[in-house]
Amino acid sequence: MTSDSHAAQASHDGGHGDHSEHNDHSGHHVCSFQLFAGVFFALLILTIITVAVSRFDFGGFNMIIAMAIAAVKASLVMSIFMHMRWDTAINNIAFLSSILFLSLLFLFILADYSTRGDTDPILATPSMQMKPAEYYQHDWSGH
Amino acid sequence: MTTQVPAAEVEAGPQKGSNYLNSHRGFWSWAGTLDHKRIGIMYLVGVTLAFLAGGVLALGIRLHLWQPEGALFEPDTYNQVFTLHGAFMVFMFIIPGVPGSIANFVLPLMLGAKDVALPRLNLASFYLWLCGTLLAIVSMITGSVDTGWTFYTPYSIHTQQSVVTMGLGIFMLGFSSIFTGLNFIVTTHKLRAPGQSWFKMPLFIWAIYSAGVLQVLATPVLGITVLLLAFEHIYHIGVFDPSYGGDPVLFQHFFWFYSHPAVYIMILPAMGIISEVVSVHSRKPLFGYRMIAFSSIAIAVISFLVWGHHLFTSGQSEFVMMAFSFLTFFVAIPTAIKEFSWVATIWKGSVALTAPMLYAMNFLIIFSIGGLTGIFLAALNVDIHLHDTYFVVAHFHAVMMGSVAIGFFAGVHHWWPKFWGVMYNETLAKISAVLILIGFWVTFIPQFIMGSQGMPRRYASYLPEWQGYHQVSTVGAIILGAGFALMMGYLIHSLFAGKKAKANQWGGVTLEWHTQTPPIHENFDYDPVVTHDPYDYSQLEEMKGKS
Amino acid sequence: MSEGHHDLITIPAPEGFVPHQVAHHFDSVEKEFQSCKLGFWLFLATEILLFGGLFAAYIYYHDLYPESFVEGGKLLNWQLGALNTVLLLASSWTMALGVRSAMLSEKSKMQGYLFVTFLCAGGFMVVKYIEYSGKIAHGLLPGYFFGLEPGSVYAEALGHLPYPNLFFSLYWTMTGIHGFHVLVGMILIAWLMVGGAKNRFHAGYYMPVEIVGLYWHLVDLIWIFLFPLLYLVP
Ligand SMILES: [Cu+2]
Repeated sequence: MTSDSHAAQASHDGGHGDHSEHNDHSGHHVCSFQLFAGVFFALLILTIITVAVSRFDFGGFNMIIAMAIAAVKASLVMSIFMHMRWDTAINNIAFLSSILFLSLLFLFILADYSTRGDTDPILATPSMQMKPAEYYQHDWSGH
Repeated sequence: MTTQVPAAEVEAGPQKGSNYLNSHRGFWSWAGTLDHKRIGIMYLVGVTLAFLAGGVLALGIRLHLWQPEGALFEPDTYNQVFTLHGAFMVFMFIIPGVPGSIANFVLPLMLGAKDVALPRLNLASFYLWLCGTLLAIVSMITGSVDTGWTFYTPYSIHTQQSVVTMGLGIFMLGFSSIFTGLNFIVTTHKLRAPGQSWFKMPLFIWAIYSAGVLQVLATPVLGITVLLLAFEHIYHIGVFDPSYGGDPVLFQHFFWFYSHPAVYIMILPAMGIISEVVSVHSRKPLFGYRMIAFSSIAIAVISFLVWGHHLFTSGQSEFVMMAFSFLTFFVAIPTAIKEFSWVATIWKGSVALTAPMLYAMNFLIIFSIGGLTGIFLAALNVDIHLHDTYFVVAHFHAVMMGSVAIGFFAGVHHWWPKFWGVMYNETLAKISAVLILIGFWVTFIPQFIMGSQGMPRRYASYLPEWQGYHQVSTVGAIILGAGFALMMGYLIHSLFAGKKAKANQWGGVTLEWHTQTPPIHENFDYDPVVTHDPYDYSQLEEMKGKS
Repeated sequence: MSEGHHDLITIPAPEGFVPHQVAHHFDSVEKEFQSCKLGFWLFLATEILLFGGLFAAYIYYHDLYPESFVEGGKLLNWQLGALNTVLLLASSWTMALGVRSAMLSEKSKMQGYLFVTFLCAGGFMVVKYIEYSGKIAHGLLPGYFFGLEPGSVYAEALGHLPYPNLFFSLYWTMTGIHGFHVLVGMILIAWLMVGGAKNRFHAGYYMPVEIVGLYWHLVDLIWIFLFPLLYLVP
């Protein structure tokens, strides 16, 4: 069984590392130095934007904006630094499925939290709707 | 360019009579082995010991409940006994049981591979299991854990510190399980024999693969949950503790996000075993191969959407409860598809009532009841009444004990000749299978009845009205115990004085029956190529011709 | 066909490098590479879910006690957090370049990039240390140890709010577990540099560099979310 195809391929790709559009999904793609530098630069800019927008109050949208920027940064790291753009389909599925199933955890926990007491006529009375924060007041001066 | 050098570690070809058991000798050839077959055997011994420990504790529980006021233990001790029974059975036996032992041994053979894809990780997974188990035992010696295997907060935060040791043990057991599942997923993807397309894989592989997906995607959440529980003890992180502003319902969400899929980590591999056993011992291709394969995947996916049915009385939102109740009913579809397909496979097959087949039939009978009573509990309104009663206890024992443990032993009996090259006494095996079936029903039918009448679980004492039911249940547990003791007896006896097994004891045609019995260290002395469907019994003539 | 069975495959290496021997149960180095990589991707998936539990707890309590989280977040030093973000992003970049050099059999470049990555990681931990000491000095500790000195600015900011302890519990736990991953990453990078010094990684075999790289990017990935959630609480 000959197995040098892999070594040959790696060196072949290495010969000209500037073809980031080159569409191979073998998981042996060599990116150009410039592409990596560009991604790093973009990540820095996005970090500055993150800090900048946090100075303004968009109400409930602050969380969405912050997470959206973080998601863009994350997808840059994943697709370019982690080579997911050039990786095999199964590797991508393996990793991305974790995010899919994690979103289920988020979805149901938040659905539970945000609809508690909504359908029960007794629980829906104002006194029962108080969230735990209003029940207790702690004195945080030491213990 | 490629050079081929003679192997350093692999011995020069198998000699006649050489097999994986005798090819290397000495303690370290086992303790440091990378051979999936030996790791499987070590797991087999380990999980069986855990099963025996859990079983003895179960007998203790049943004997204690002979009297309404309790016959054996102080109430505190009773709490510890049922906690340890649950923890041992769930985390040390049922979850690692089939994947660690049987699948470890059989899966690479069925794929025509020389080993699992990541042998070192496989060994690490075994040692994580061992360390986790030892830590759990340490927690038992140094203190006591009396929370039940579910470790619900806030009680588990305020009880003894040994919960931390137990929690870390479970963290390790969790990662052991993750690494096993991960390994099987990679092995299934990368090491199938030439010609073995996805739909030419035995259904056992489909089941193990689906369980592997669950192990990888669900178990980490258990890991972080027990870690946070340990942090609650160490510095009161507070996320699960109302006195620090936390919400105990969040713990239950986290815990069941893992532990509901965990039920399928347990049952899917057992279902895989039943698929193999039913087909081989009926000498008939499985009815509805693709339906069974897809139903495994469907079960894996649906199982992530239903965990809230454990929180119906915990104070979660009514909307979410309705959604969870509705979604839970969907689990019935793929499980029923499997049950019907197995029965249809037996229908008009040439059924051999061998010991593995008897165990498989026990599974089919008990699982149908275990599954159907699950539908009661999925119904939101019925569950409010039945929650935390003996009905629930009987239901999940029908699934975990009556189906998973019995499925596991069906597999042990089916592949025992492959493991060791010896056969057990089949008459005794059949007697024990019947004893276990009778013992099971005598134990759990009274529990179903008591539960429907409101007998709560985990109580050390009960109203005298229930004494009759409890005593019948205890007698059943003793019959069960006798059945398992008999099984251990003849299995161990067979190792020393068993008849030599045939190379293909049952006339199976999946790849593990194509190789020598017991297999050689390298599994196959040729490179297997798959040309037939996995349950195409016309190969049998060909196979006989070869040997 | 059956002849290759008892022979191991050795991958030839470029001049000056050590050839790699493929494990006995793989029939090609490509299979070995792809198997290890798929296994590692699955492991990274488990890491996402492990941290996911913490993020779920964060979102839950952020919803429950929004004020406590916002005011708590203001007491963290966002400049230090931003500095650490830059350090980790830079280390991710140099790690990506290190993997690239390994794929091109450029040993000294690879070692250099790995070393810079290691330094950035170390810098991250130093900044973390400075940050943690400040929090310890002001009693902004997790859970049971949380205590505000009466009359201090911290008591002023948090004293009237419900359960500010939870924000700091989550801050310490999330950054602590993340910091633990950084330490593990530093050990792994050091291990790569040892292997690199022994000429083990080249175009024909760079799998360990690749998977440690993936691990390191994951550490970066998690920090990308931790930074806005903890230091700039929305
Ligand atoms: Cu469930």
